[in-house]
Amino acid sequence: MENKKVLVADDEVHIVQVVAMKLRNNGFEVVTADNGSDAYKICCEEKPDIIVTDYQMPGLTGIELIEKIRGTPGFENVPVIMLTARGFAVDDEQKEKLNIAECLSKPFSPKELLSHVESVLQSSTVS
Amino acid sequence: MFVKRYILPIQLVLICSLLIAAVPFGGTNLYEILACLAALGVTGWMVWYLFMEGKAISVQAESLKNDYKNQRDKASQCSKETKDLRLQVQLLKRQKHNTEAIIYSISDAVIVTDANDRLLMANEPAGEFFGFDVKEIVLKPLEELVAKKELVKLIANSRTTRMRHVRHELQFGTGNDIHTYDCIISCIFDEDEQVCGVVAVLHDITREKEISQMKNEFVSHVSHELKTPLASITAYSEMLVDGEAADDKTRKEFYAIIQSQAQRLNRLIEDILNISRIESGLIKVKKEHVSTALIVRDAVQMIKSYAAEKEITVEDQTAIVFDQVNADKDMVSQVVINLLSNAVKYTPNGGKVTVNSEVDESQQVVRVTITDTGVGIPAEELPRIFDKFYRVKANNKCAKGTGLGLNLVKQIVEKVHQGRVFVTSEVGKGSSFGFELPLIAAGKSLVK
Repeated sequence: MENKKVLVADDEVHIVQVVAMKLRNNGFEVVTADNGSDAYKICCEEKPDIIVTDYQMPGLTGIELIEKIRGTPGFENVPVIMLTARGFAVDDEQKEKLNIAECLSKPFSPKELLSHVESVLQSSTVS
Repeated sequence: MFVKRYILPIQLVLICSLLIAAVPFGGTNLYEILACLAALGVTGWMVWYLFMEGKAISVQAESLKNDYKNQRDKASQCSKETKDLRLQVQLLKRQKHNTEAIIYSISDAVIVTDANDRLLMANEPAGEFFGFDVKEIVLKPLEELVAKKELVKLIANSRTTRMRHVRHELQFGTGNDIHTYDCIISCIFDEDEQVCGVVAVLHDITREKEISQMKNEFVSHVSHELKTPLASITAYSEMLVDGEAADDKTRKEFYAIIQSQAQRLNRLIEDILNISRIESGLIKVKKEHVSTALIVRDAVQMIKSYAAEKEITVEDQTAIVFDQVNADKDMVSQVVINLLSNAVKYTPNGGKVTVNSEVDESQQVVRVTITDTGVGIPAEELPRIFDKFYRVKANNKCAKGTGLGLNLVKQIVEKVHQGRVFVTSEVGKGSSFGFELPLIAAGKSLVK
């Protein structure tokens, strides 16, 4: 997955660090944000191929971030993976409405996350 | 005698019974005879003519006696039945009174309608809720007295469907004054199993719903707070196991992160447990004579590094004076740290936090106040700011929290140390949180 860019947004600095490290170690370019508002700005500037975002963040929440991104021309179809520590935070209806590719519960395995990022990117390339 | 030639009017015979025998006629009471005579209007001269005809008179008298006896028995029977009826009416009145008393004593709103949806009975809470006088509602149509159309419809539906104990959750009110009610509607059946009425009971569950929602939010918050450090511990452990830490420096960094996150997890669990223990009275308290100023000084030192990350100045204006209190040092320290931590958390970058401590000799207390230049709290939320799980909605996005910190402060200050917590705030300008503890010499409680 060379040259693919990932935006990682989470207000927990350690989570951002470990996810960024895992993805970079596997050939991805990574940009990060520690709140929803900055994540949106960086998304518009950097145009990532995929977004990995936390559910709850200061500024815009994960859901609000995705809603704003989907409403921005050119970003309607950028794949999104959501990380959440809140169990059933995102129901199937919301997932479909916002076109969230995957929801992963915290605590998560970095290996598993990497696997999901690769498979989602592959699916979006094919389609 | 000329009297024999006449058909004697039956009533004249009565007169003779008075003259022939002064004794009662086969049990007939003389007073009863007199009463009959009076009723019949018999005059004195007739008595003389009949006097000599004792035999005819006695036959006639016997006939009258029997007739009178029957009349008397009937009257007696009627009297008895009347007494029974009066007793039954009294009993029914008492039962009605008792039933009404039961309904009036219920604190929930209760209304009873008949088979035509007219109001039969309602208690005071119902009158207050629906806005009518309970003494003036009998047999008035329900829809005229109750403006809540949804409820009127549900009562009518219950009656037609003959349902018992159907539960509905209804909301009444507008804007910020919406109340939720648990409404149970049940048909009343007569001896022939026909619906003769409907009873509706409305129980206000607004507070229960709020508590339930707060609990759900709390569980969600706590789950998030617990899982976040756990996520770091899990992720970094896996990276170490998979050899993704390239060098010693990175590995040491990972170990430190795992350790700090484990400590964070532990603190949260302790907070939850402490609140629970304080509430149940099971907490172990170790009180000793301590100086409040020294506790404040140590707490300020601890918070300065956190404050520095946001370029917030923390100023300690506590003078060292005689401010000895009899307190658990660790608990009071926890109180000051929690208040300082909140002050820094909800103050934007570059702000200021000031700590002030004073001795109030008139009240015999030590008063510690922590003032910030933060986001402030809306006035309507101040009364609940120390409630368990409560978080100011407007400030949710500024910082994370479980809603436990201030509750723990309140529990420690008031329940364990018989002190008092207080707060003032202005949105956009900042907040002042504080607490008072009794000085050693005082030994009296501030909690009212």
